[in-house]
Amino acid sequence: MDILISIPFLVFFPMLASFFIMSPLFTNNEISIRRFSKSIFGFIFLYTIFLLVMFDTANPFISKISFFGLDWIQALGVQFSFKIDGIGMILVLLTSFIFFISAISSKMNIRKNHKFYYSMLLLLMSAILGIFTASDMFVFFMFWELELIPAYFLIGGDFSLETNTEAKKSAIKFVLFTFLGSMVMLLGILLLHYYSYMTSQTLTANFSEIFTERIPVIIKLIISACFIIGFGVKLPIIPLHTWLPDAHTNAPTPISMVLAGIMLKTGAYGIFRFNYQIMNDVFQIFAPVLAIFALVNIIYTAFVAYAQTDIKRIVAYSSISNMGLILLGLCAFNQIGLNASVFHMTAHGLVTAGLFMICGIVYLRCKTRDINTLGGIASNMPRLFGLATLIVLASIGVPAFAPFISEVLTVISAMFSNLGIVLKVSAIVALPLLIISSCYMLKFLHCGFMGEKQEAFAKINDITTHEFIVLASVVAGLLLFGIFPSALLGMIG
Amino acid sequence: MINDFFNILLPQGCLTIFILLQLLIGMFASPKFHKYARFISLIGISLSILLLSTVQTEPQYFAFKNSIMSDSYTQLFHFVILLCGFFITLLTKKLTNTFKQSSYTFNALLLTAILGALSIVSANDFLTLFISIELMAFPTYFLIASAKGYHSKEAAFKYLITSAVSTGVFLFGVSYLYGITSSLNFTEIYEVLSEGEPTLIYSFASVMIVFGLISKLSIYPFANWVIDVYKGTETSVLAFLSTIPKLAMFGILCRLLVFPLSLGLELPFIIAIISLITAIWANTYAIREKDAKVILACSTSANMSYVLLVSALVSVYNLSTVIFYLLCYVVMNIAVFAFLNITEYEDIGFNVANFKGLFHKNHSLGLAYTISVIGLAGFPITSGFVAKIYLFSAIVNSGLVFIPFLLALLILMVVALFYYLKLILPMFEKATVDTKVLKALYSQKFVLIITTAITVLIGAYPEKIIELCRFVAYNI
Repeated sequence: MDILISIPFLVFFPMLASFFIMSPLFTNNEISIRRFSKSIFGFIFLYTIFLLVMFDTANPFISKISFFGLDWIQALGVQFSFKIDGIGMILVLLTSFIFFISAISSKMNIRKNHKFYYSMLLLLMSAILGIFTASDMFVFFMFWELELIPAYFLIGGDFSLETNTEAKKSAIKFVLFTFLGSMVMLLGILLLHYYSYMTSQTLTANFSEIFTERIPVIIKLIISACFIIGFGVKLPIIPLHTWLPDAHTNAPTPISMVLAGIMLKTGAYGIFRFNYQIMNDVFQIFAPVLAIFALVNIIYTAFVAYAQTDIKRIVAYSSISNMGLILLGLCAFNQIGLNASVFHMTAHGLVTAGLFMICGIVYLRCKTRDINTLGGIASNMPRLFGLATLIVLASIGVPAFAPFISEVLTVISAMFSNLGIVLKVSAIVALPLLIISSCYMLKFLHCGFMGEKQEAFAKINDITTHEFIVLASVVAGLLLFGIFPSALLGMIG
Repeated sequence: MINDFFNILLPQGCLTIFILLQLLIGMFASPKFHKYARFISLIGISLSILLLSTVQTEPQYFAFKNSIMSDSYTQLFHFVILLCGFFITLLTKKLTNTFKQSSYTFNALLLTAILGALSIVSANDFLTLFISIELMAFPTYFLIASAKGYHSKEAAFKYLITSAVSTGVFLFGVSYLYGITSSLNFTEIYEVLSEGEPTLIYSFASVMIVFGLISKLSIYPFANWVIDVYKGTETSVLAFLSTIPKLAMFGILCRLLVFPLSLGLELPFIIAIISLITAIWANTYAIREKDAKVILACSTSANMSYVLLVSALVSVYNLSTVIFYLLCYVVMNIAVFAFLNITEYEDIGFNVANFKGLFHKNHSLGLAYTISVIGLAGFPITSGFVAKIYLFSAIVNSGLVFIPFLLALLILMVVALFYYLKLILPMFEKATVDTKVLKALYSQKFVLIITTAITVLIGAYPEKIIELCRFVAYNI
């Protein structure tokens, strides 16, 4: 069976499929494009489940592509190498799942340019899988940059029937912000690579072989700061977050699901990989500062989310708030914190994908996302209302759902952290303030669905089978990890 | 003497013969046959490329009383220059069709400029260098002026004035250097100077020489010509102007910085500062521009400033990165100009707004152009990405002093991305009724597709080319 385990196949198969759909060889028929790409996404999802079954935490999957016996760039010691460890496995599984459900939900939202849309979606998946599996800094950076191209076209593209002029602007904003972050990150990577070479005399860019012990502390601080800024744009950490609400609001629904469900997690994953693992001694200096930023993320954006009137913006701001929680877990710098952080990545990925899906369904039917004009649609859409209630309950941290576990674990980890009083205080502050999240999420549910029946929304239909499957699978995932958290926690080494 | 010629000068000699052939045929041939002028040039360039294999490179070969030299470094630059010349000649068809009989002269001028560029790279003597620069510059004035209309003449005149001033500055520096060492030969100057301490007058002379050479690279003190000249020049000539002089000038500048000009300590800092100023100027100037040619002018200037910064921080590793970046840059640039050459003759113009919807009507051409522009911006699966990280790793290797410069350049890359996006984004907008299906000649398509393919191939598998660049850099 080992011969079937191939990470390059996992990463590059969607890319090849993307090129195939893009090429003139493939028919321009909407249905066949959709079915073909859905089957690709489904296949990749099944393949990751197969990898999960074969996975053993003690022996991570490692693979390397060599080009006619040579490394990719020998002058820089760059090898095209991949590795999936426990955290990588969880995120790869989450990626393939979210992409699969977003491809299913694309049927309702994407009305034009199917060929372009699906090939870009596959390319994006390939890039993100590359980010989670790369074990070489430059390969990681390559996928990090590659992701921008499909992401731009998916956010700013012309896929729905009505034209959205804001979408292009927010896509450019997204690309420029992320590119700025990645350029600062490149500085960090180059410095780390050079000083690792200078102090250990081995030319390598592999995560596990990078040697940081003898690098002067001041250089380490600069490198860590570069990484934090670079990943902080994607995460996002508060002053760098302004691209997110625009991009998430203006993107088509399936893309919002992918952006919030997966792409934000690449930032957290980067901070884990580079700051937490490689530069771990300096991270202890940065952690209290970052914890304050995480707290600002949690509290400030929760209030901002409460003030929003657009339901998609509420969900977008709630993502920033939740990413603060993930960051806080990492800052605790202990095993519980890491577990909590990765668990919350999964849980929040599922929740936010579900919430964006609900926003998309409501917008498709009611043609508005304004919370003041919505309302009274619960009786027309009982199935949607039921699922939405479950997902909203999950997102505010009700027991039996996954986010409950991770929120509790995060607060515990911050309490037990060895990194000084700041983290303990932030745990004490964060706990009551998680209540604000229930305020805005319940406002979302209450104003969006309940209330008097309205004339304008009298004729809308309940969700279709497609939409039901997507939302039900999200709920099932949340329940599964909420009831059996050890299924996930056991994999985080 | 004759031995020297056969050992290293056969490619240049072949080009010379074809220049004379062009001029002769131009006098006698019937006007009907003017379109074959291009093929004569192509044959000449191909023969020169073949004859490159006869050039002696191991060990370094000095000829004609040490005034000309050849090694693997010059060999590589010669090959790239000739390859660019081949692509550019393919692109000139539409332009030369308007000249009728003069197309022989045009092709002769183009070949002369290429010959000049080849001689610049292999010069080992300031006098040879000066003559070669003029040999390249003089035909360039006429090439720029060859397009119809007032603007091309204005552009040619501006280029002439800037070149004249910079040549003056260059000669001024050379005269000082001659005064100190009483020699014009690079090797001799290096030997004489490396015995004693560098004096103030030496530093002054070296700064003057560098300032004289960088005008062709459109670096700050002599950068203003680039906007007007690019605006007024026909795109196939522009493909020439943005590649071959750049290659030739860097070919010689790197050698000068490694040998005769390497003794002063201030020079790297002065060059670093002027390249940073250029990068800031070029990148910010392009933000508000809507003309594709002006945006590319700024892009050329900015790219050259990155390369110049690295080439000033002399080391073998840095030299290999410079060569690799130049290789990738010229290939991508020719691809972009090949696409603009197609659009220019379809009356689309150069305002980026006019590119609206072109991708939806011309998939393969649009895709090739997009890949090349994305490569210039430094995105992966193109050679631009590898070239970017390889070039910037050289700055990191040169010491902590230059890290602020690198940070500034990296932030300017974001600004650069903004204007590169302006070049391609209108193509993906909704096509209108006016959107044209581009009718490209086979030669234009060939150049665009081949250069894009090279860009992608180097991006996917850069190792062999980098190895070549390292080999060449070690052997300078």
